Order: sequence, then structure tokens, then C-alpha cells
Amino acid sequence: MKLACTFTAVWLLASSQPLFAHTPLFDCFDNGDDTLTCEGGFSDGASATGVGVRMVDAQGKVLEQGKLDAKGSITFKRPAGGFSVVFEAGAEHALTVLGDDIT
Amino acid sequence: MQPRPLQLKALPLLLGIALGAVAIPAFAHFLVVYTPQTALVRATDLPFHLVFTHAFNGGPSMAMDKPQRFYYAKRSAPNEQIEEVDLARYLEPIQWAGEQGPVSAWKATVPRNVVRSLGDYQIVVEPTPYLEEAEGLYIQQFAKVMVNVGGVPGNWSETLGLPAEIHSLNKTYANWTGGVFRGVVLGNGSPVPYTQVEVEYLNHDLDVANNTFVADGKIDAPHPSLAAIVILTDANGQFSFTLPKAGWWGFAALSVGPENEYNGKPLSQDAILWVQATDLPQ
Repeated sequence: MKLACTFTAVWLLASSQPLFAHTPLFDCFDNGDDTLTCEGGFSDGASATGVGVRMVDAQGKVLEQGKLDAKGSITFKRPAGGFSVVFEAGAEHALTVLGDDIT
Repeated sequence: MQPRPLQLKALPLLLGIALGAVAIPAFAHFLVVYTPQTALVRATDLPFHLVFTHAFNGGPSMAMDKPQRFYYAKRSAPNEQIEEVDLARYLEPIQWAGEQGPVSAWKATVPRNVVRSLGDYQIVVEPTPYLEEAEGLYIQQFAKVMVNVGGVPGNWSETLGLPAEIHSLNKTYANWTGGVFRGVVLGNGSPVPYTQVEVEYLNHDLDVANNTFVADGKIDAPHPSLAAIVILTDANGQFSFTLPKAGWWGFAALSVGPENEYNGKPLSQDAILWVQATDLPQ
């Protein structure tokens, strides 16, 4: 339920963007090998290559950061404690996925 | 190849009506490729049921050999090549129950990790030709259904080069009830003008736990022409259809593929596309 609620929040945030502006979309998956992969994109199909992604802990400290590759993807090592991953597609386009929701 | 004439196939229907039998148009074969939801917010395991049947009437269903191919086509990014991923390993034979007795059909559960990436998945079934003894011909329906994960669009509008194919001009997974769906019928990659497109509502829900259709349909069609709706493509091979009810709508273009013989008998290579309509939230 927590996962569903959190992601719904992400979805609502995303869908609150102006109509016809490209809406950012973002999700992460656990790879089962102590890494996780995140993917980003836009609702109009625009490439997210080069968009920044940062992993932060519960206090907001940056643990890792990088940019999406040509496939709109980036892989991080999964940290031990609580964390979240932020898709930095502009000031009004930041999306966050909580670590607990990354399965 | 000339389209299979409706007139011939209407004969059993007319006889059925004359005899007071259940009016099941013989031409209304549909390869149902069913998965419960095609617009996914997040990736999940994808269950499929493949049943060769009469969609509106929920039967009779026909025995279905193992498909020649079952796969998805996905473009992971705008400049990347389309990737085809074989899904045949997930197919399991089942017996699909019906009034005429069980027939062979197929199910599959495609695991989340195979369909976890954001974007469009064009899922394709290329069946083994089915011998329709009543018509003395083989039927091979190239069927497509699309699933989107996360709302990022992908290759939904791209064709796959199937012998018989419906080119979708709308996202098949993003249609409000009452919206207009548009497509182009392609035979060997070229638009097919003025060809018939059968449109049927998946009128009986699938009882996937028991491998059968739910007995009660959602609609009572007052006339056979409203059960198996037939429209024509225009001069450019394009058609449009307003989706009047939430659920699944199947589009079938018959005998548009280039091959016309199999095992010494006529072959009809058909194109099938499934479209999901969603009610506006209250």
C-alpha cells in the first residue's frame, strides 16, 4: 500500500504539469545484485539523455549522482540505509522515488 | 489476394437465423490476446491468455496450436534500434472451456523483469495457421496488443513489418470511452484500400482462473450486424471507429497478407489489433 501511495504521489506530481508541456516520468528497479537502475523520460517521447539524477539519504545528503545515458537509464549501487532518487528535469520537473519503493 | 467474401461467410449465419439457432457469424474469428490492463503506471508481471474464438459471443472457440512466434518489440530510446524479445518460453498450454467442450489455448506470465522498462511494448502473436474445415481454408491471424509502462511513449505508432498488420494511429492503451480510434490496414506493408475491417467487443469477460469466458455478456446485440460490426477502409487503407464502451475492442482485417496457400489449401492471413477503452473517472 505504501508503495502504491508513494508512486501515486509521484504520478500526481507529474500529471500536474501544464498540458502539452512534456511531463517528466521516472522510475527505478532493483536489479537483485545490490544495484538499482533508474529510467527517465517525457510524456511526449523526448529524450531524457543527459538529465541529472541524484541519490540522497534521509537528510538530503547526496550519496551518488550522474546523468541518464542514451537509453535514458542510470545504475547506482544500492545504499544500506534509507534513501531516495531524484530525477532533476528542471526546477518544476523534479521527481522523487523513495528507496523503499524500489523493488 | 482477394478478401474472403463476406457473402459466403454470411451463409451459415443466415441458415442459423433461419433455423432459430444462435447467430454466430462464421467470419467473426478473433485471436484474443488478453491481458487485464495495458496502461501500467509501474511494471508488473504481465499475464496473457491467447484464445482463438468469436470475441463478441464468447465462443465457440477453436483449438490453437502453439504460436509460431510470441514476442514483443520495443524501442528503448528514440535513437535506439527496435528490440524483439522472444516470449515463447513463457507459453503454457491450457484447455479453454466452452459449450462445445474444451479446446487448446495458451497462457503466459511474462515476468516483471522482462517488461520493467518505461515505454511501449508491442506484443505480437504469430499463430500457426488454423484449418477452418467449414470454410476449407487456413486462417492465420497476426495479432498485436500494446502495453505501456510508466507513460513514456515509444514505438506505439510504428509498424513491425508483419505480413498482415494494422498500423495504429492512436495509442491502443490510451483511449477514453467515446474516443475515436484510427488505424491503417497493411498487407505486406502497403495500405489496403476499401477492405473490410471487422470490429468486435470482447463482450464476455475472461474467467482466467477457470480458463473460460464468463457466461453472461455485457451487451445484448439486437442485430447480428451490431455484434460483428463491419466497416471499410478508405482509399488510403485508413479506418476510424468510435469506441462506445469501456473494455476491449478487436479490429480484424481479413485476407490482407501476401501468402494465400498453406498445406495445399487456401490461406487467409489476417491482421488483428486489440484496443482498450477506459471510462472517464466519475
